[in-house]
Amino acid sequence: MIILAALLLIGGGVYWFTHRGQGRNSRPEPRGATVRPAPLVGTPRAEGAAGCRVVASGLSKRYGDVVAIEDLSFVAEPGRVTAFLGPNGAGKTTTLRAIVGLTSPTAGTATIAGLRYRDLDRPIRRVGAVLEASAAHPGRTARNHLRVICRAGGVPLERADEVLAMVGLTADGRQRPRAYSLGMRQRLAIAAALIGDPELLILDEPANGLDPEGTRWLRDLLRGLAHQGRTVLVSSHLLPEVQALADDIVIIARGRLVAHGTVDSVLDSLARPARTLVRTPEPERLRHALGETAGVTIGVDGEVCITGVDAAHVGDAAQRSGIVVHQLRTERPSLEDAFLELTGEVPR
Amino acid sequence: MTTVESPALARDRRTRGNPLWQVSAEIMKIRTTRLWWLFLVGVALFTAWTVLRNGVGHHYELNPPLDQYPVNERAQAAAGAVQAATEAGRAAIAADMMTSGQLLGGLLAMLLGVVVLTSEYAYRTAPATFLTNPRRGTVIVAKLVTTVIAGIVFWAVSTLLDLLVTPFYLSSQHIQTSLVGWVPLRSVLLNLLAYVMWAVFGVGFGSLFRSQVAAVVTGLAVYLGGVAAVLGIFNLVYLAYRHAWVLGAPVIAPAVASLVMITPGPAFDHAPPQWVGLLVMLGYALVFGAVGVVRTRRRDI
Repeated sequence: MIILAALLLIGGGVYWFTHRGQGRNSRPEPRGATVRPAPLVGTPRAEGAAGCRVVASGLSKRYGDVVAIEDLSFVAEPGRVTAFLGPNGAGKTTTLRAIVGLTSPTAGTATIAGLRYRDLDRPIRRVGAVLEASAAHPGRTARNHLRVICRAGGVPLERADEVLAMVGLTADGRQRPRAYSLGMRQRLAIAAALIGDPELLILDEPANGLDPEGTRWLRDLLRGLAHQGRTVLVSSHLLPEVQALADDIVIIARGRLVAHGTVDSVLDSLARPARTLVRTPEPERLRHALGETAGVTIGVDGEVCITGVDAAHVGDAAQRSGIVVHQLRTERPSLEDAFLELTGEVPR
Repeated sequence: MTTVESPALARDRRTRGNPLWQVSAEIMKIRTTRLWWLFLVGVALFTAWTVLRNGVGHHYELNPPLDQYPVNERAQAAAGAVQAATEAGRAAIAADMMTSGQLLGGLLAMLLGVVVLTSEYAYRTAPATFLTNPRRGTVIVAKLVTTVIAGIVFWAVSTLLDLLVTPFYLSSQHIQTSLVGWVPLRSVLLNLLAYVMWAVFGVGFGSLFRSQVAAVVTGLAVYLGGVAAVLGIFNLVYLAYRHAWVLGAPVIAPAVASLVMITPGPAFDHAPPQWVGLLVMLGYALVFGAVGVVRTRRRDI
């Protein structure tokens, strides 16, 4: 009798072993699935629907005597991509971790739709975060990594296959992430963030390791999500990328806020105005023709940089004096200039 | 509001979280890595080996080859054989056979607890875990429950193997005793408690360390180095402070408590009764389980 029971137990164990990892809801993986990410076919949100606004207010974090962030206040609005900029070590990652409750701030609060992260019901359905690209157990397949998150979040397990397809990893889903390139790990992390179809996406340096095609895909994805009315908060140090992507920017340096607003308003607030760049064989005559109101400097490569007057004024003056002009253009300060001026540091 | 057509999310209409999801996810985490199977195979192999070794040991305990003993030890061996053949002695042999494999089984249950917790930090999966479930106390309790279940499975496998061998062994040695008698049954059940409490201990113990390697090595030291070292230390104390209770005091070490708890009769000279070992182990499990919850809630991930 006892032996019979024992055999039954062993048999059950073997059955379970051979069927492990196949959830009740599992179905065969789609064959011949696209490597290319699935297109976004979302629709804009209905007007007036409640958004997922992120509000940081007086956020501070100290580690002993070291100040990571100090009295940081800013808002990320629904329907917009907010870029979070700062030199390395400025406190970007600490701030993002404080928003999602992984780090407890020493002062101040961060709320998502008016609630602290830990007070959200089923946060997976409201917030997705990409904080560390290589954060997956090396012995667990990518698909199982996502299925574990589905399980813990109460989301049907098939969602793991859906998000794998969304980031173009379907064919590699049964591999262990230790075989992945940095770009593939980044895609896996983004897939994990998309599991709950969240209203708010928080991404820490998501473009790291992505190739140009991947960077473009990510930009389209984030813009598309914002277009649907979601809140996107993304930290980056890739300034041209941010200029192409963001609606609003928050710039911090040494843990403190230095600028916050729309990309245009931050650029306009710069002390340095637009300048006119001219190429001419007669730079000294042009300086003379412009008179004393214009600030003229002649670069080592012969390019003349003019401030204080606009491009039309420069063109008129050259024409009046019969000066040959080979090139004339206006240069607005770039986000990189703004960044350098505001943080006083060299971006990487 | 969906990014793409999602049949999966269309079926998800749950508005509130459920702590059981976390338990289910923790079980899935264990099942989707290989460590768990290596441990289970380890338990099975070690149990098979110890049940045979114990069988041979008890055979010579019952039938000492007296002519091979030095003359001055023959009387003691013969008395031991007589003692082993009494009703209590036979029950103790049955209990010992039925708890074979406990040394490694308890160790692996403890190590699994250590690994379940520390691998979240070693492989940086803790952020994903606590983003999905920011109620960290729930996550740790889920890990405790999962490790306890794994401990019970280890115990079941070990006990099952013992159960397959012991009846045949006892009849081959003409030992008349009941396996469902109170003495062996009590040991088997206390053995189950030992597995469970070592599992709980492991999760809490793991939360004390930042490094997985440090946690595993210290855990091994506490478990294996424990008994001999602690008995030695208290024997030294006894030389300076001659009270009998000092010799029983090593039970405060978890490894000794675990041994005392499952051994019918004294585990060593002046050993306290089994229930003292049980209480000490229970205390460690509760304290370390609570430490795990508190440490994890306060930690910056």
